[in-house]
Amino acid sequence: MPCLIQSPRFLLSHCLSPLPPNARAVFCGRLSHRSAAAALSSDAQTIASNQSSSCAPLPPPPSSEILSVRESLLSRRRTAAEIAEEYLDRLRRTEPQIRSFLHVSETVMREAEDLDRLVESGAELGPLAGVLIGVKDNICTVDMPSTGGSRILEGYRPAFDATAVRKLKEAGAIVIGKTNLDEFGMGSTTEGSGFQVTANPWDVSRVPGGSSGGSAAAVSARQCAVSLGSDTGGSVRQPASFCGVVGLKPTYGRISRFGLMSYASSLDVIGCFGSSIIDAAIILNAVAGHDRFDATSSMNEVPDYASCLISIDQFDSKPLKGLRIGMITETMGDGVDMGVVSSIKAAALHLEELGAVLTEVSLPSFSLGLPAYYILASSEASSNLSRYDGVRYGNQVAADELISLYGDSRAIGFGPEVKMRILMGTYALSAGYYEAYYKRAQQVRTLVRKSFKDALETNDILISPAAPSPAFRIGEKVNDPLAMYAGDIMTVNVNLAGVPALVVPCGFVEGGIVGLPVGLQMIGTSFSEEKLLRVGHIFEQTLQNHRFVPPLLA
Amino acid sequence: MSVTSAFGCGAAFLRHLSAGSRSGSTLILLRAGGAKPRPYSSSLARCAAPEPPDVSRLADTARISLTPEEVEQFAPKIRQVIDWFGQLQAVDLETIEPSLRADTDANTSQREDAPETFGNREAIIAAVPSYDNPYIKVPKVLNKE
Repeated sequence: MPCLIQSPRFLLSHCLSPLPPNARAVFCGRLSHRSAAAALSSDAQTIASNQSSSCAPLPPPPSSEILSVRESLLSRRRTAAEIAEEYLDRLRRTEPQIRSFLHVSETVMREAEDLDRLVESGAELGPLAGVLIGVKDNICTVDMPSTGGSRILEGYRPAFDATAVRKLKEAGAIVIGKTNLDEFGMGSTTEGSGFQVTANPWDVSRVPGGSSGGSAAAVSARQCAVSLGSDTGGSVRQPASFCGVVGLKPTYGRISRFGLMSYASSLDVIGCFGSSIIDAAIILNAVAGHDRFDATSSMNEVPDYASCLISIDQFDSKPLKGLRIGMITETMGDGVDMGVVSSIKAAALHLEELGAVLTEVSLPSFSLGLPAYYILASSEASSNLSRYDGVRYGNQVAADELISLYGDSRAIGFGPEVKMRILMGTYALSAGYYEAYYKRAQQVRTLVRKSFKDALETNDILISPAAPSPAFRIGEKVNDPLAMYAGDIMTVNVNLAGVPALVVPCGFVEGGIVGLPVGLQMIGTSFSEEKLLRVGHIFEQTLQNHRFVPPLLA
Repeated sequence: MSVTSAFGCGAAFLRHLSAGSRSGSTLILLRAGGAKPRPYSSSLARCAAPEPPDVSRLADTARISLTPEEVEQFAPKIRQVIDWFGQLQAVDLETIEPSLRADTDANTSQREDAPETFGNREAIIAAVPSYDNPYIKVPKVLNKE
């Protein structure tokens, strides 16, 4: 793999050498616009026509879609309707291949036109005015079905918006639709959806990851600017890595869970996806904060997460000087794809070049986290999903008596993975087994929390891959639950500890059409999102060799 | 078995899986549990060994009507995962306090315990599958036993 930091002159000579076709199309195309959305609407040059010409320098690093929309609206350069039309167009064009949406809003254009009237009137615009967002379908939206990816809630329309959705709408955002997921968040591929399988925009024969696969794919394919997901055991971070987008899992309690369909209440968080760190930060600004409807939401003040993300022209020569980074030993050894290991090592080198000091750090009890997580998650799920009984909402199967109504509604409504996890959780919580399973898992949780705490005293942040492999093929792991669960090893400990983590695309491995993206996971102490975003932003803006726009958009 | 040797299991577990053989799963069970069979009679086991999962009974408890085919299909997978859970039995956790949740300082407030009228009652009622104002209808309740 070519090294990361290169002078522009070196890059020029690289243009004529065997680079992956997508990279060359991007290097050599006359893409001069700053925003990716604008770039997509211009013609990308073909590889053939450019082989003899001298190549333009690498296009600039990702910039904020949100700020670009805002600038367009305020300057009257574009209308909200034009912007919405462009996204809807791209969504419709790519949906047959990607299938990231379970429901597309019917009111997008009307909302955009309403916004245009507001712009005309000179009224103040919310920070997210005109921004198209996707919302994972386990997050309640009052004007659209919310199925949780499950047939048991097919057609269900909640009576309220989740707090995170309400806040985004209040900031002026337009919800373009509800994205696909593994049923109730249980899964790592989105193949567990009760409705459809979402494909990875980088290679449609591969999974986008899960459970927030639809939200990750939608942002990757630029069907929306940003999206909301949820992360219980890695469900934002792993798909972010698989789809080559930014994924943020905040501290437990940072964002209200009101309106998020509960899977495991002590682990669930709402997270977000964007094509740049700034966009993730702006979304976090909009949705973070205490909520009286979520007793587990934190009273901690919400800083302005985007304000410290300065332009690359203002960076020092060593912008990460003094930053102590610990690379987690257990995530870089056996069982991790060689390509992933080298991408993370390259990312580590890049961070060192920016001034950071890297050491290896070992987290004791790291691998115990995986079974502990599955015990806790299944147990809590078995309790949380008992509400889906066909009585007050969702699909009801007719029966002569009540127990059968419960049994049949749930048998027909739930998919196999959900059923299995409920059964495993029921077992683990059975009378007399608390000591053997649930309590032990809670004790492992204490060990994991402590080991992160200790490691984060001698390090400012920890880094690791977000998944042991790049996106694998659809159907590859469906029959082997343990093989599926093993892929969560990089992410579950973060949920057990409740700390925040950010995934930023850092490289590619071989596979697919032009390569498959790999994400770097950065972990911090509780409520250290500011630090993570700042480091992630500097990393992203100075990353020289890679641009993360999937081939189907070229 | 100490924590130190227990955490080696995860790496071995991953290695076998990445070797790509689905049929390797049986091997994994032995590795995940450690080299020796678990000493249930040792002082580390604070309780009697849990009974292996009876999927039909669990399905009853969880109120899910599984077909016999489903029971047959799920049983080996569930047993496999529960066995894998069992590796926690072999770890010495005697002095460790259980953590209810992450304790990220997130549980500090409760709202006032005063009833409020919810503004969108119609939507709640509209979602009820079987409604006969003001009742949510269910079929009769029979005592099974």
